Amino acid sequence: MPRLTKSLLLTILLLVVSAVTCFGQSTTGTVTMSATVSKFVEINSGGSVTLTGNSGGGVTTDGVLNSPLAVSINLGELGPSNTNNFVTASVPLKLRSNAGYVLSMSATVTSSGTTSNRISAADVGFGLGTISRTGTGVNTTGTDTNATSGDPTLAANGSVNGTSGRYEFTAVRSNLSAFSSATTALNGSFIMNAVPRSNSNGLTVPAFFAIKPQFFENGTTTISVTFTVTAP
Amino acid sequence: MRLRLFTYSFLTVLILLAVAAQTASAQALDISSGGLPTITGTVGGSVTGNATVTGDLVVTINFGEVSPLNTNSVVKVVVPIALRSNQPYQVAVSMSGLTNANSEALQASDVGFGLQNPRLLGGAGQICTQSTHIIRSPFNNDPATSATIAASGRVAYPSSLASLSGSTVILSGPELSKNNSAKRQNSDGWVFDAVFALTPQFFVSGVSSATLIFTISPGPNVPC
Repeated sequence: MPRLTKSLLLTILLLVVSAVTCFGQSTTGTVTMSATVSKFVEINSGGSVTLTGNSGGGVTTDGVLNSPLAVSINLGELGPSNTNNFVTASVPLKLRSNAGYVLSMSATVTSSGTTSNRISAADVGFGLGTISRTGTGVNTTGTDTNATSGDPTLAANGSVNGTSGRYEFTAVRSNLSAFSSATTALNGSFIMNAVPRSNSNGLTVPAFFAIKPQFFENGTTTISVTFTVTAP
Repeated sequence: MRLRLFTYSFLTVLILLAVAAQTASAQALDISSGGLPTITGTVGGSVTGNATVTGDLVVTINFGEVSPLNTNSVVKVVVPIALRSNQPYQVAVSMSGLTNANSEALQASDVGFGLQNPRLLGGAGQICTQSTHIIRSPFNNDPATSATIAASGRVAYPSSLASLSGSTVILSGPELSKNNSAKRQNSDGWVFDAVFALTPQFFVSGVSSATLIFTISPGPNVPC
């Protein structure tokens, strides 16, 4: 092959290689992205506890708005020396979720008494009050189902047993004997719209605990209640 | 004799074609990685991309958990993008995906998107004095620091993925490269940061995804 031809072929090859190399450049780039949103629920304190009808006692550890719920209450004297109709504690709860939720509760009642006249779980009235979905970022059109009978001190929720004479909380899930194991107290649709966690609004509901002072066996009683919220 | 004449004619045509191809390619506009992308504020997320500026722009962002389980104020991703050209250019972005029907689920407007920090990519980057690189409105912001709370309580950004409509021009300007190199070099263009921000919120649960395509093309004819 003539030398000129070889040179020309070599030149062509180099130019073609050069041109092909240019195709290593690109006029497009791609960014793909993904994100995950998991179900989220939380329960916090909805504020300060209100204790009424007590004789002695008091709120030992109060609720702090938007802080983890950890409340301790001394209900005081529950014998006949307390002449109030009821000793009632109202504990505000605040729930938030991005999904349908279930609030369940379990309770234990232990007493130093040894007879049937000691304070038992059935003597501790319980109910959830008015549910409020208000504020910016809250799903105000969401619905909730209260599985309790509300304020246990309402006349419709209890009365004196005509036979035993003992006061009884008789309505559906109106005393702690209904919550010896985790039992649904409230459930509903998602609570929060798409707003950041720094938004402090949510669903608030008071949890009422009530005891009718009676001729209980003397002693001390400890009531422990655990609320749990889940997103099934 | 005739064969030789034909051969030389054919070779000449090939040379001309090759030269034309080479010239055309040298005029090419190029978009590539501008370096390793970064992510902050994530829970379980990640970002991958080419660490070198001569690698293609192929970035995968996983923002991770963006429900309130992520207690960070924002998940921020910075994607450096290198651009090269020896002619005026423009960069457009188009998006696909992220079409959640539930308005409380993650929407395009929930992903802040801005362009920041233009800088030379080495000594062969072109510094033009008669025209500037223009980040088109509303994208000239860092969405991670300019987010606000809307009346609804939801986080809003000056610009977001919802600001993209079809192929949307986000940047334009004069030529970017001094040399006429036919291939990517480490120092022959400009780098811009594409910034993405996603604030964890009470979104409806689920997994969302989107794809962005960045395209560089000849832009408005501005002097250098």
